[in-house]
Amino acid sequence: MLDDKKDDIFLSRWISGELSEEELQKFQAHPEYKHYAKIMAGADALDLRSYDVDDELSSLKSKRHQKVPKKTGSVIKLWPYFAAAASIAIILGLFLFGPNESFSTDYGETLTVQLPDGSEMILNARSEAIFDKENWEKTRLVSLQGEAFFKVKKGSKFTVSTKSGEVSVLGTQFNVQSQNSFFAVQCFEGKVSVVNKNHTAVLTAGKAYRNLENTPENWNFSGHQPTWLTHTSSFRSIPIQYVFEELEKQYNIQIQKSNIDLKTIYTGTFPNNNKEVALRTVFSTLGMDYSISKDGKTVVLEK
Amino acid sequence: MSDKSSTCNEKVFDEFFKSHAKLLRNYVYYKFGDLDQAEDIVQDSFIKLWNNCSKVNLDKAKSYVYTVATNLGISITRHQKVRFKYKDYVTQRKTDINQESPEFIMLEKEYMEKFKNAIAALPERQREVFLLSRIDKKTYREIAELSGVSVKAIEKLMHKALVALRKTIGNI
Repeated sequence: MLDDKKDDIFLSRWISGELSEEELQKFQAHPEYKHYAKIMAGADALDLRSYDVDDELSSLKSKRHQKVPKKTGSVIKLWPYFAAAASIAIILGLFLFGPNESFSTDYGETLTVQLPDGSEMILNARSEAIFDKENWEKTRLVSLQGEAFFKVKKGSKFTVSTKSGEVSVLGTQFNVQSQNSFFAVQCFEGKVSVVNKNHTAVLTAGKAYRNLENTPENWNFSGHQPTWLTHTSSFRSIPIQYVFEELEKQYNIQIQKSNIDLKTIYTGTFPNNNKEVALRTVFSTLGMDYSISKDGKTVVLEK
Repeated sequence: MSDKSSTCNEKVFDEFFKSHAKLLRNYVYYKFGDLDQAEDIVQDSFIKLWNNCSKVNLDKAKSYVYTVATNLGISITRHQKVRFKYKDYVTQRKTDINQESPEFIMLEKEYMEKFKNAIAALPERQREVFLLSRIDKKTYREIAELSGVSVKAIEKLMHKALVALRKTIGNI
C-alpha cells in the first residue's frame, strides 16, 4: 500500500490498473488519494504541439538533397544553424535581387502572400515586400518596407531585410515593423535573430525588440499573433507621430498636426475597421479636439 | 540485402520515418526540454540514418536513430544549461469547462501552472517515464524497451515521479 515503504511501485500499479479490488478500495479511502487522482486528471489534460509528419518528412528530404554524402561530425551538426542565424544576417543586406516578385498594400488593406516554400507573409496597410522567386530555394530573403507578420516553414535560413535592420530565423512566427527611424520585431514562436545597425538581439517566443530613434529596447508580451491581424492597431509607449502615421495608413486620411507636440508618448489601441471609433479613441485619450473635412480625407487637430 | 529491409529504399525509409519520428521527437523533448530543438534533432538523426543506410538495416534502424538523437541532445546540452521549457509548448486539451464556475476554472488554471512547473522540476529520467506514459500512452514495457532497462526499473521511476509531483504541488 502507499504507506508501505517497501512497495516502491504501488502508484505505478495503480495507474496501469494492476491493483486488486481490495487494494484499490483501501487506497481510495486514503487521505492522499484525492491528491494523486488530481495529478492524474492534470496529466490527462496535457498535450503537445502537434507534429506534422508529412511536413517534417518533406523538409527532411529537401535537406537530404542539399547535403550530399559529405561526412560531417554529427556532434557539431546543429551548431552552424544557430551561429548562422546571427552572423550571416549583416552580409545579406548587400544582396542584389534577381527576377523579383513584388507585393504591396494600399491604405487600410492587408494581404496574405503564400511564399514559394509554403511560408506565409501577411502585409499590413501601406507596406511593400519583394522577394526573388527563382532563387527562393537557395535564399529565403524578403525585402520589406512597412509591417508584416511571417509564419515561416522550417528549412534553411529565412531573412527579412529592412532599411533599419535584418531579421533571420529557421522556422517560426514573427512580426516586423519598419518605418522611418522606427524598427520593431515581435517573436511569436521559435527563435529569431535581429541585427539592427550596431545592435543584435536574439528573441524567443513572447519577446520583442525595438529601436526607436537609435534607442534599442527589449520587452515581453503575450498573445499568439499581432493584434492587427484582428483589425486592431496597438501601441506601447511610442511618440504619437507613429500613431498618427498608422491612422493615416489604415484610413487613407491626412492628419494636420500643426502646434502638436509629436513627441508625446502614447500607449493604447484603435480599431482598423471603424474610423469614427478609431479617431475618437486616439484623440480623446490625448485630450485633443478634432474636426473632419467634408470629403473625410483630412483631420484637423485643435489642442 | 533484400530491398524490403533496406533503409536505402525510399519507400521503406518514408514508412519508417512516419511510424517513428513523432515518438522520437517527444522522447528527445522530454529528455532535453526544448521542443524546437527536438524537432531539429529528429531531422538530423534521420538524415544520418539516410547517409548510412547501407550500413544500418531496418531492424537496427530504430535503436540507431534513438542513439544518434540522444547523443546529439547530449552534445548540445553540454554547452548550455538545460531548462525544461514546459510552459511554452504543452497545451491543455479543451474539455467541457464551460459548465464550470469561474472560480473553479481559475483554480484549475492555477493548478495546471503548478503542475507543469512540478513536471519541469522532475529529474530527467522520471519526467521522461511519466510523460511517455501519460502523453504518449506508452506501456511500461514499451518505455523499458525504448530506454533499454527493465520494466521494474520503469515502474519504480513512475512511482517516484508521482511521489515527487505530489510533494512539489502540495495541497492546492
